[in-house]
Amino acid sequence: MAFMAHKRSSEDKLTALKACLTRVAEDRDRGAFAELFNHYAPLIRAYSLAREPGADLVADELVQEVLSRVWLKADKYNERLANLNTWIFTLARNCRIDYLRRNSRYVTEIDPTDIFNDIEDEGPGPFQQVQQTRAEESIHTGLKQLPQEQAEILRKVYLEGKTHQQTSDELKLPLGTVKSRVRLALKKLEVLIER
Amino acid sequence: MEKISNHPQQELMAAYSAGSLPLSQALCISTHLEHCPECVRKLQRLDHVGSELMQQLKPAPASSELRDKLFARLDSLTEDSGTEDSVEKVDQDADSAVPKCLRQFVDEGFDKLQWKRVSADIQSVQLCRDSNGARVELLKIRPGGSAIKHTHLGDEYTVILEGGFSDESGLYGEGDFLFRDNSDEHTPVATQHRECLCLAVTEGPIQFTGVFSRLLNPFVRRNFAL
Ligand SMILES: [Zn+2]
Repeated sequence: MAFMAHKRSSEDKLTALKACLTRVAEDRDRGAFAELFNHYAPLIRAYSLAREPGADLVADELVQEVLSRVWLKADKYNERLANLNTWIFTLARNCRIDYLRRNSRYVTEIDPTDIFNDIEDEGPGPFQQVQQTRAEESIHTGLKQLPQEQAEILRKVYLEGKTHQQTSDELKLPLGTVKSRVRLALKKLEVLIER
Repeated sequence: MEKISNHPQQELMAAYSAGSLPLSQALCISTHLEHCPECVRKLQRLDHVGSELMQQLKPAPASSELRDKLFARLDSLTEDSGTEDSVEKVDQDADSAVPKCLRQFVDEGFDKLQWKRVSADIQSVQLCRDSNGARVELLKIRPGGSAIKHTHLGDEYTVILEGGFSDESGLYGEGDFLFRDNSDEHTPVATQHRECLCLAVTEGPIQFTGVFSRLLNPFVRRNFAL
């Protein structure tokens, strides 16, 4: 019961945040934008600090970058492609990639903008939409039941931004084990199942 | 569009979704995604995994100074103030056969590039290098032509843009994504009726770098630069 209540409250929260985004898109509503800031800025900072503990300035810069994009692109958000939390995650990821590229000692000639931005999709049909929603539910519940060793690897890769090789070095595990734990985790979360 | 049967491995897709993949590899995945709606859907789910993990983090409070600074800047924000949006550019060449993510290197179509002859059957053009030393190039194999039998010093990622080829392990067509590690030895042969165009990323000597490593000792890098 407690779990259901928790789930409902996080869904309500998301609905409220989505309404804020709509007000930002349609009315340039700063009060609504402040609510988005209050909710997402601490999460974006946590995401940045997961990769670079103690780097508060970097974390603040990421917040500015991500929320600026939210302000500018609010009208482009398409809830059929991603729920709001997921949209924010992809923006944070893209901004982090940009930041790392600009501040890297090792130059790459590749501009990530065209790689990660706006992968277009005609948008899923109603049937696929149902599948996506079901997939999101199994990911949500599955993550809570994932064996610790698999969850740890996913966090390293997604939050700390570690490559498989870095994860393998850090945890002193063979590279093959890292990859197979990623695969096992994805299987448990039913991410890749075509229903 | 024919059904694509060779997709990026799932752990590679996860690393792409996480943003922890070297950009040269990400470029290959992105090119594949433009051909493969199935993988686009997988990516959306993988992004959702990242999103859920992010929600599990302990929030790190943001200062009111940060909030004031951001709000002060809202009015001066425009679409191109650091948040580049390539929509217009993309619309212009909507008909282009060049995948969107490759247009940063290919302005006016593949034929306008400075192709170099590699062998009787193959021409190539280098697009760029990644910070890990990986070489990003386009390869053009004439109809029925074959590549020289080769093994790799490092890993190799290939996406077929046009045409197709076969090798010891199978037949590949447009959109297919292939990964070969340095133990693979293979001899691709282009299909008879048309030229085969591929995007290829070849990584540096594996014994020096660790395949996925972003960092590369400058000394080694200089030696590796061909
Ligand atoms: Zn695919």
